[in-house]
Amino acid sequence: MARNLRFLLTLWLALMLLWAFSGERIVDWVFELPLPDALMDPLLDAVFWGEDLKAALGLPDLFGALRALLHGLAGL
Amino acid sequence: MVFPTLDFVLFFALVLGLNLALFRLNGWRKGMLIAASFWFYAVWDVRFLALMSAVILLAWIGGLPGARKATALRTLCIAGLLGCLAFFKYFNFFLLSFSNLLGEAGLSRDFSWAQVVLPVGISFYVFQAISYIVDCAREDVPARRNPFDVALYVSFFPQLVAGPIVRAADFLPQLDRPERPTSAMRGMAVALILAGMVKKLVVANYIAVLLVDPVYTNPAAQGAPQALAALLGYAVQIYCDFSGYSDIAIGVALLLGYRFSANFNQPYRAASFREFWQRWHISLSTWIRDYLYIPLGGNRGGKARQAVTLLVVMGLAGLWHGAAWTFVLWGLAHGALVAGERLSGQHRATSLRPLRIGVVFTLVTLLWLPFRARNMGQVGEMLGALARPASEFSLALHPFALVLIGTGLLISALPLRWFTRSGEALGRVGPELQAGVLALGLVILFAMAQEGTAPFIYFQF
Repeated sequence: MARNLRFLLTLWLALMLLWAFSGERIVDWVFELPLPDALMDPLLDAVFWGEDLKAALGLPDLFGALRALLHGLAGL
Repeated sequence: MVFPTLDFVLFFALVLGLNLALFRLNGWRKGMLIAASFWFYAVWDVRFLALMSAVILLAWIGGLPGARKATALRTLCIAGLLGCLAFFKYFNFFLLSFSNLLGEAGLSRDFSWAQVVLPVGISFYVFQAISYIVDCAREDVPARRNPFDVALYVSFFPQLVAGPIVRAADFLPQLDRPERPTSAMRGMAVALILAGMVKKLVVANYIAVLLVDPVYTNPAAQGAPQALAALLGYAVQIYCDFSGYSDIAIGVALLLGYRFSANFNQPYRAASFREFWQRWHISLSTWIRDYLYIPLGGNRGGKARQAVTLLVVMGLAGLWHGAAWTFVLWGLAHGALVAGERLSGQHRATSLRPLRIGVVFTLVTLLWLPFRARNMGQVGEMLGALARPASEFSLALHPFALVLIGTGLLISALPLRWFTRSGEALGRVGPELQAGVLALGLVILFAMAQEGTAPFIYFQF
C-alpha cells in the first residue's frame, strides 16, 4: 500500500510541476471542462489563484519551449 | 474523454487515488469505479448513459439463473442487445437509402433531423453483454445476482469504448478478489501507457495528418509515390492507433489492479492470414470465433462447408464496421484468403517464413485501401493513382511522415520480449521513479503531439 501511495503522490506532484511550468494552458483547458457551475466556480477560483502565484514567481513556460524544440526538430 | 488528453490524465489521477483509498472497502471501490465509468462515458454525451444502462439491465436479466433455463427470455435479451446495435449502426444507412429512393421518384424530403448519433463504443459493450449472457447459459461463468457487478463488467472505463473485449470469466473473479498493484504491475503499466501514447500521439496522428488524410482527400491529384506511401502509412496508422489504444487501456487497468489479456501480438509478422487474425484485435477475433464461427458450424463438416462459414463470418465482421460496400469487400476478401489457405492446407506451412510474411503484409496493406476509402469510387481513384507518376499537384511527401512509417514498421516488427523486458526493468525500480518516468514521458509526448484531440479510429465502430 505504501509503495502505491508513493507512486500516486509522485504522480500528483509531477502534475503540479507540469501546471507550474506550462504557461497558461491549464486555464484554457479548465474553461472547457464539462463541469457543473457548483464545481466549476471553486475550481476556477483555485486555478486563477494559482496563476497569480505563478505570475508573481515568474515561472517560465518550459512546456512551451519543449514543444517548440520538438516540433522544430521534426520539421513540423 | 479520450486517453491521450490532460482531461483523462487528471481524471485518472483522481480515480487512482480513490481506488487506493477504498481498496479495503471492495463494495465502495466497485461503486466508485462504476460512477467513474459512467462519468467517463457521459462526457461524450449524457444521453448515452440511458443506452448503456439498458444494455447492463439486459445483460443482468439474461444472465440470471432463471434465464439460463428460460431460453426464450435469454434469446429476447440477446435480440434486444443486437437490436440496439443494429439500430444505432445501420439506421442512418437505411434512412439515406430511403431518402435517395424518394428523391429518384421526385419526392425529395430532408430527413437529416431523423439521423441518430452513433454512441461511442456501443459495439464493444454490447459484445461484452452478449458474451456474459452466453457464458452464463453455457455455465462457463456463474451468473451474478448483484447487478452492480454486471454494471462494472460492462462499463469499466479502460475498455469501455474500444476494447479489449474482456470475457466475464476473466474479469468477474477479479472483482471478488481485487489485486493490489505490485511493483511489477506498475512497471508494466507505465511501459504500456507510454508505448501506447507514442504509437497514438506521435506515429498514428502525424501519419494521418501529414500523409494519409491529404492523399485520401484528393486521390485524383496524387501519383504512385503518394498513393504507395499512403497505403503503407495507413497500415502503420491503424496498427499504431488501435494497438496504442489497447496498450493504454491494459496499462490503465493494471494500475487499478485489473489484468486484461493482450489485444495485439505483432500482427504484421504473421506468415498466414489465419495467423494474422490470431494476432490482430485478438479479443474481437476470439469473440467472433466463439460466438459466431463455432455456432455457425466452425470446423465441423467438409472443407467447403468450413470455407463458406469463414466467408460468411468475415463478411459479417466487415459489415459490423459499417453499412458500406467497402467494408463488405474488406471482410469478404479476408474471408476468401483465410478460406483459401484452409482449402489448400497452406495455413500450416512453415517453410519460407520471411517470404510468407512479406506476401501477407502486402495483401493486408492493400486490403486496408477499401477499409480506409469513403466509397468504392475512392478505391478506384487510389488504384488509378498507383498507376501514374506524381504531378506538380501531388502532395509533397513530408520527411517526418516517412520517418514515422519506418518507426511504426519497426515497432510492429521488433520482438515482443524486448518490450516486455522494458516493463520488467521498470518493475524493479522504486515507485517514485516509476511515477517520474510516466510523468516525464507524458510531458514529452504531450509536447510533441498536435494541438487538439484526434479520436481513435475504432471509436466509430
